[in-house]
Amino acid sequence: MDLKRLKDRYAIVGVGYTPQGKVAERTALSFYIEACANAIKDAGLKKEDIDGLICYRHFEPLGDDVEVTPYLVAQLLGIRPKVLAQEANCARNQMLHAIGLIEMGFCNYVLIAYGDNAYSGRRTFMKEATHGEPVADNAAFGEFGLIANYAMAARRAMHLFGTGPQTWKEIAVSQRKWANLNPKAMMHDRPLSYEEYMAASWVVEPFRIYDTCLISDGGRAYIVTSTERAKDLRNPPVVIMGIGQSNPSVDVHQSDFMAGPTGAKIAGEIAFEMAGITVDEIDACEIYDCFTYTVEITLQDYGFFGPGEGKDWFKDGRTAPGGEIPVNTSGGLLSEAYFMGLTPLTEGVMQLMGRCGQRQLGHTTETKEPQIILCSDNGGVFQSHCAIILRRL
Amino acid sequence: MGYKKPLPKPNADTRPFWEGCKAHQLRFQKCSQCGHLRWPPSVICPICHSSQTQWVVASGKGRVYSFALYRVAFLRTFEGDVPYVTTVVELAEGPRILTNIVGCSPSEVRCDMPVEVVWDDVTDEFSLPKFRPTSGT
Repeated sequence: MDLKRLKDRYAIVGVGYTPQGKVAERTALSFYIEACANAIKDAGLKKEDIDGLICYRHFEPLGDDVEVTPYLVAQLLGIRPKVLAQEANCARNQMLHAIGLIEMGFCNYVLIAYGDNAYSGRRTFMKEATHGEPVADNAAFGEFGLIANYAMAARRAMHLFGTGPQTWKEIAVSQRKWANLNPKAMMHDRPLSYEEYMAASWVVEPFRIYDTCLISDGGRAYIVTSTERAKDLRNPPVVIMGIGQSNPSVDVHQSDFMAGPTGAKIAGEIAFEMAGITVDEIDACEIYDCFTYTVEITLQDYGFFGPGEGKDWFKDGRTAPGGEIPVNTSGGLLSEAYFMGLTPLTEGVMQLMGRCGQRQLGHTTETKEPQIILCSDNGGVFQSHCAIILRRL
Repeated sequence: MGYKKPLPKPNADTRPFWEGCKAHQLRFQKCSQCGHLRWPPSVICPICHSSQTQWVVASGKGRVYSFALYRVAFLRTFEGDVPYVTTVVELAEGPRILTNIVGCSPSEVRCDMPVEVVWDDVTDEFSLPKFRPTSGT
């Protein structure tokens, strides 16, 4: 697979935010529309320029909401794209699809979006797991989806390579420090100490409350185009240096990847080969972090450290503000807000554009001036993985 | 006073498994061509794509592959059970199934611990396969 010819050919040119956290009296659809409109404005494009629209998987509507479809999003944005798509099961292929559509000349500007009213709508995430077994069959044993699925994976990893709360507390605390610098983060005003982490209540053991991601209202969107077109737009282009995808697909209960290697290994290898670099050249990481353990196993599978070495690797604030290799600089899904893979990816973009205010990488946070940032997206329970290497042009 | 917890909802693929449970048998599909025992049930073997299948009965012996300890009840009907353990048991014959560990305290459960099936006859229609530590080990 020779992807090298695609290196640096595509760029992200705009990011759309919405009010986020606890935002009452809003439909999920309204967050998609607002995020998309803001991404178009941010890129300096006209809505008519958007010829591809891809929505993330949307969960079952809450309350009296309508079902979010790309038809509706396009209708309410007043656009008629050549391509409309929406993934069904967390496969997280959106950026690959966008690149493919632009590469074959079908689209010029592809808009990718997610939104939800999960906090105000009290989404429980009990039905959203992607099992091979019927949900009711698992519920008969008191098994209710995602937290326990990832907890089980983390438990196997504890058994095989000795990870555990001593590693995960470093991840939770370091990310919280980034959130404390991010006014948009749900946990902006809530510092977290090691002691508070260890004293926190269990949800599904081995996960405490601080090991689990947030549930948020809000939305996020971004726009992909060719690097050539990006150069004419208002934001500094952030180019896609490498991208890799791998979909192990197997339900975690039957999987052989609970303790890794997850899809991150192959996806990472593809992305690094395309980019022609190694992990040593990564200045910062924005890693999909539904749980603390997800961050550990992803970075382990990318090759930042060997099995179980995360315990020392994350120590002494290595990934925190001022650290050698910043990870999840918005606070991430754990401490900023949950917008699927768009929380990490858009943060990588904003950092490389230099638009992150108090949490900006470089002299502001006594970290390396960022040239190259590694982002990840992960779907299902380690069933899908996308690794994306971004760089400043 | 009926049984209040969720019950399995057998479909065309899983019905033979649940019918087996009712008879206190762990039934799995075995590929007639390559011998692979599969779970969840399917029309073809995921290894060799043969559709020649027979249902076989597993021994009910296995080991804890991994487990999660629920400290919170996600449904009211499980409040009395907290803390309880959900487990993936790897059967001696290969398949891994979701179940519960019973017959020991949650703090005694370990990965790779040997376990054996024990039947929980929750209604007239359904028996749930649960697992307990293998006696004498």
